Amino acid sequence: MIHIVTAENRRHFHHALMEMHRQRKAVFIDQLGWRLEESAGLEIDGYDSAGAVYLIEADAPRAPISVSARLLPTTQPHLLGEIFPQLCSEPPPAGPAVWEATRFCPAPGTPNGAPRRAMLGRIIAGIMETGLLFGIEQVTFVASAALAPLAARAGWTVRALGPEQGRGRERLRAFAAEIDSVGLRRVRARHDLSGPLTRFMPADLAQAA
Amino acid sequence: MQMRINWAFAEFCDEARSVDEISDRFMAEVRALGFAYAACSSHVDPLRPPRGAVMMVNYPRLWLERFSTRGYAARDPVFFAARRQALPFQWSDWRFRAGLDDDQIDILNEAADAGLLDGFTVPIHAPDALPASCSLAIGADGVDPLSVRDAHWYAVYAHESARRLVNEAAPPDRPRLGRRERQCLELIARGKTDFEIGLILGVSEHTVHNTVRKAMRKYGVATRMQAFVRALRDGELRMEDVAM
Repeated sequence: MIHIVTAENRRHFHHALMEMHRQRKAVFIDQLGWRLEESAGLEIDGYDSAGAVYLIEADAPRAPISVSARLLPTTQPHLLGEIFPQLCSEPPPAGPAVWEATRFCPAPGTPNGAPRRAMLGRIIAGIMETGLLFGIEQVTFVASAALAPLAARAGWTVRALGPEQGRGRERLRAFAAEIDSVGLRRVRARHDLSGPLTRFMPADLAQAA
Repeated sequence: MQMRINWAFAEFCDEARSVDEISDRFMAEVRALGFAYAACSSHVDPLRPPRGAVMMVNYPRLWLERFSTRGYAARDPVFFAARRQALPFQWSDWRFRAGLDDDQIDILNEAADAGLLDGFTVPIHAPDALPASCSLAIGADGVDPLSVRDAHWYAVYAHESARRLVNEAAPPDRPRLGRRERQCLELIARGKTDFEIGLILGVSEHTVHNTVRKAMRKYGVATRMQAFVRALRDGELRMEDVAM
């Protein structure tokens, strides 16, 4: 299941959040060589805050994590607004009904191919479920040339916000994806998902778990 | 790791007249972040510190007595690791535990029995201070990873402020920073990455990296946080330049 971690319930997900930042360090810094800051084995950037929404897939709050992602409200500082505006031909979508998805992080050692595609499908379904729950209509993201077509193939209605930029493997492009129930049904159908993947435990219930 | 700055804490430390004042406020701040115990101190016998040592410690009394009687300061693996590396580390990390001698593992196990189960240590290096570090023990409920980030500021600012109070010798010539160095530190403190600073200043990410390294070398410190705090305390940067 995919846990939705917000400011309200994050104090019951200390273990999972710590593990997520550890995996992000292993994946983005050690494996992909992104030049990000790390400390104490954790990758945490200036956009990580209690105001972000994290999706963490794990069987239980303290079980191993298979994949995680970060959703930033675009009413707060976010990457497309501050770091990548040049990727957008027009001002990027922002507002109370728009989130930005970043740090899609499969657990280190996830095999390439089918397992990763399935994981991407699950996290996209998770983002759509969470978006519908929070009244979000669009989710923006920046993707490498390799990742972008996979999102569309997963069943997401995605439009480019500008032309591709950069060179080689670092080619980046900005996208906006629609969040609606039709799209969610399509993503679920493509990935054989029979029902909701996300769990949003309010603080008091999370405590009981 | 990005900086998160509590200016009120900095102002408090700047005005403090004694290490105890700083220590009390520091302990309150890190307790609020979820840390059960802390030791922001020079690597010395905690019950018989020499002159010039910084001591801000609220570890369990029994542990401090054992640590002191057995002379653990000479063998403590946390002190060892803090002297060898620049970046903070976690006690449960296998990279920290790998290569430790049996007696050092014993020290960790005894510390765990005393209530210091797991935690983080921020190494503190400076040419004009005794070897030091700030260790933060995690309480029973675990700790938010954002607290680990936030504690870095308290650790470095508290140590630097306390060091200035205990160092009686006349301060050596203060290094001066260049304009670019000041700009880079200022932007780092605003949470920008090297890549972003490069975009803002119109230089390469590489140039930003080297400029920051130059500032760190001038102060003889090993982390950006320490360079930034030194620049603040020396008056090379002003809070008003950085606070948003």
